[in-house]
Amino acid sequence: MSNIYQPDLMTITKVIQEAPGIKTFHLKFQDEEVANNFSFETGQFGEYSAFGAGESTFCIASSPTRPEHIECCFRETGKVTTALANLTEGDTIGFRGPYGNTFPLDDWKGKNLIFIGGGIALPPLRSVIWNCLDLREQDGRFGHISIVYGARSVQDLVYKREIEEWNQMENVTMVKTVDPGGETDDWDGHVGFVPHVLENDFKPDPENTVAIVCGPPIMIKFAFEALERLGFKQEQMVTTMENRMKCGLGKCGRCNIGSVYVCIDGPVFTATQLAALPNDF
Amino acid sequence: MKTATLNKSDIGKCIDLLLQADLRVIAPRLQPQVDEDGPDALEVLTFTEVKSGEDHQVGEGLLPLNGVKEFLFAKHEPLFAYEKRGKKIEIIPVHHEYPQTVIIGVRPCDAASIASLESVFSDANAGFEDPFFTERRSRTTFITYSCTAPDSSCFCTSVELSPDSAKGSDLHLTEIGDGRLHVEVITKAGEAVAKQLQDLLEGEGDQAAREKAGAEVTEKLTRIRDSAPIMEWLMDTANFDDEMWQRLGEKCIGCGACTFVCPTCHCFDIVDENKGSKGYRVKFWDSCQFDHFTLHASGHNPRDWQYKRYRNRFNCKFKIYPEKFETPGCVGCGRCIRACPVNLDITEYMAEVAHKAANPNAMKADPDFE
Ligand SMILES: Cc1cc2nc3c(=O)[nH]c(=O)nc-3n(C[C@H](O)[C@H](O)[C@H](O)COP(=O)(O)OP(=O)(O)OC[C@H]3O[C@@H](n4cnc5c(N)ncnc54)[C@H](O)[C@@H]3O)c2cc1C
Ligand code: SF4
Ligand code: SF4
Ligand code: SF4
Ligand code: FES
Repeated sequence: MSNIYQPDLMTITKVIQEAPGIKTFHLKFQDEEVANNFSFETGQFGEYSAFGAGESTFCIASSPTRPEHIECCFRETGKVTTALANLTEGDTIGFRGPYGNTFPLDDWKGKNLIFIGGGIALPPLRSVIWNCLDLREQDGRFGHISIVYGARSVQDLVYKREIEEWNQMENVTMVKTVDPGGETDDWDGHVGFVPHVLENDFKPDPENTVAIVCGPPIMIKFAFEALERLGFKQEQMVTTMENRMKCGLGKCGRCNIGSVYVCIDGPVFTATQLAALPNDF
Repeated sequence: MKTATLNKSDIGKCIDLLLQADLRVIAPRLQPQVDEDGPDALEVLTFTEVKSGEDHQVGEGLLPLNGVKEFLFAKHEPLFAYEKRGKKIEIIPVHHEYPQTVIIGVRPCDAASIASLESVFSDANAGFEDPFFTERRSRTTFITYSCTAPDSSCFCTSVELSPDSAKGSDLHLTEIGDGRLHVEVITKAGEAVAKQLQDLLEGEGDQAAREKAGAEVTEKLTRIRDSAPIMEWLMDTANFDDEMWQRLGEKCIGCGACTFVCPTCHCFDIVDENKGSKGYRVKFWDSCQFDHFTLHASGHNPRDWQYKRYRNRFNCKFKIYPEKFETPGCVGCGRCIRACPVNLDITEYMAEVAHKAANPNAMKADPDFE
C-alpha cells in the first residue's frame, strides 16, 4: 500500500541566508533510488516537512536543467517555517512532490519573456528564469529575456548574487527596484512599486512577448492591470497562485477557487483562466 | 437482480450471523451522549460497532447523528510515525486494521454519499489514491434500509434521490408491511452477505409492494426544491458576487457543525503530534467554515468574512462537487439543517437561488439602500 502522505527524506546540504528571515536550502534525497527516479518541471511545488512541526508548501526554486540538488527558498512566518529555519546543514527534512502543473515553456518558443516578481515571490520565478536561460543557451529557443524584480528595501532583495549575474548578462535586461524609502545611498536601481516601475520606466513592448508575474495577490492584480494598459492581452500573462494548501493532492479541500483546485489544476494560470474564476482569491 | 423477503424481527439474527462469520458489524444504536447516569442523559441514534444482535436499532428512528463517513474517512488518523535520531529521521509506518465490515441500516441518502467521497479520495481524482480510504472502502459492505418516516428537514427528492433509493447500496431492504422486508441483492458484495443470511431469506421479494411502499413514503417529504436550475445559476461566475450571499449568510457563526455532520464533506488538516523526539503525522477532519482554513501566512485571507465561507460551502455542494468530481455534493439528508445552532437552512438558499434563476431581474442589490 503506497502512502501518498508519506514524505521522502532529504538532507540539507547547504543553507544560504538570502535576506533577513529568508533562507535557501539545497536538498538531496537520502535514498538513492528515490533520487534517481525524481524529476520535476518548472512551476511545480512540494510539501516540505520539519518533523515535529508539520508541513509547508514551497515551490521548487531550482531549475530542472540543474538537477544535482533541489532548492527551496522560504520566509520564516509561522510554526513550520520557523522550525525549518532552525535546521542546519546535515539535518533531515521531509519532501512530498513534485505537485501541480508547470509553466508552459513549449508555448513560449520564439517569444520574448518578461519575468515580474515582488518580495519573496522570486523563488518560483528563479526556477523558470534559469530554466529559460539554460534552454536559450542550448538552442536559442527564446527571444529576449527581461527580469523586473522588486522588494520592500535593498536588504529584503533575495538572490542578490544572481540579480548581479543577470545584470551582467548581455541578452538579459535586469530591472530592479525597491519600494520608496527602502533605498540605500549606493542603490543603483529604481525606486517605486513593481507595477509602477513596469508601466512608467520599463514600458515593455507587448509584441511577441509573454509576461510571467509572481507575487502577493495584490501585486499580481496591479501588475496585470499595468500590463493591460501597456497593450498585453490576457493570454500573454501568466502567474502562479499561492493558496493555502495542506495535501497538495486534491483531497483536503482547502486550495480551491470555485471548482478549480490550485494544487492539482494549478498553481500556474494564465490571466485568461483567472478571469473566468469567481472572485475568491 | 435477485430478491427475497426477510422478517423484520430477524434483523438481530442477521447481525448474529454476520458476527459469527467474523465480520465487524456497524449498526444504528441509541447511545447515551451526555452523562450516562446523570439527569441529562440523552440517547442519540449513532452508528456504532455492535457485538450482539440484541443491540441495534436498525430501521428505527431516522438518521444516525454520525452517518457512515467516519468508518471510511477517519475523524483522526495517524499517517505515519517518525523518530528523530540526531540529524537523521526514521519514518515508521503505522499499522492500521481494516477489518471486513458490514454496515447495516444505512439510509439511502448516506448510501448515495459514498460515491461522492470516493470521487475525491480514489485515484480517479488527479491519479492520487488515499489508501486509508480505499482500503476501508473495499472492505465495507452496505446494507441499506428504505426510509419510512422522513422528517421536516429531509429533502432527498430535491437532489435526484428518494427515500427508497438503492444507489450506493450492496443489499437493500424495504419494509412492505406485516413485519416483512423486501430484499434486493445489488452487488457482488451484497450477494456474499446474502449468502451468510440465506437461512433467514425466503423465496422471492414483492416488487409491487416495494414500489408502493416507496411511493407512499416519497409522498411524505415536504421540503421540495429543484436543484437543476440552482446548479445552472451557480455556473454563472457573475452570481458569485450576488447580494444574496451576504444577506443570507450573515447569521452563520462559523461553528463548522454543518460540515462535520455532512456525509460528503471531505476536508481535513495535516499536523504533527509531537512528543519529545518522536510523534505522529496525523490527518483529521477540518472545515471550510473556520476562518483560518484559507488564511495565508501573509495575513491575506480570500474568505475573510463568514458569509464567504458559507458561500463556499453552498458552492461546494451544488457546483464544485458536480463540476469537478462529477458526483453529488448534497444528498439531501438534512443533517446540516438539524445541526445548525442559528437555523441557517441550506434549502432556504436553494429556494432563493431558484427564485433568482427564475426571475433574473428580481432582488438586485440596491446601492442606495442602507
Ligand atoms: C504553491 C505554493 C508555493 C509557495 N511557495 C513558497 C515559497 O517558495 N517560499 C515561501 O516562503 N513561501 C511559499 N509559499 C507560502 C508558504 O506555503 C507559507 O508561507 C508557509 O507554509 C506558511 O508558513 P508556516 O507553515 O510556518 O505558517 P503557519 O501559519 O504557522 O502554519 C504552520 C502549520 O501549523 C499549523 N498551525 C498553525 N497554528 C496552529 C494552531 N494554533 N494549532 C494547530 N496547528 C496550527 C498550521 O495548520 C500549519 O500547518 C507557497 C505557497 C503555495 C501554496
Ligand atoms: S449539505 Fe446538508 S443536507 Fe446536504 S448532504 Fe450535507 S448535511 Fe446533508
Ligand atoms: S469545502 Fe467545506 S463544504 Fe466542501 S467538503 Fe470541504 S468542509 Fe465540506
Ligand atoms: S452549522 Fe450553521 S452556524 Fe455553524 S457553520 Fe454551519 S451554517 Fe454556520
Ligand atoms: S492542497 Fe489539499 S486539496 Fe489542494
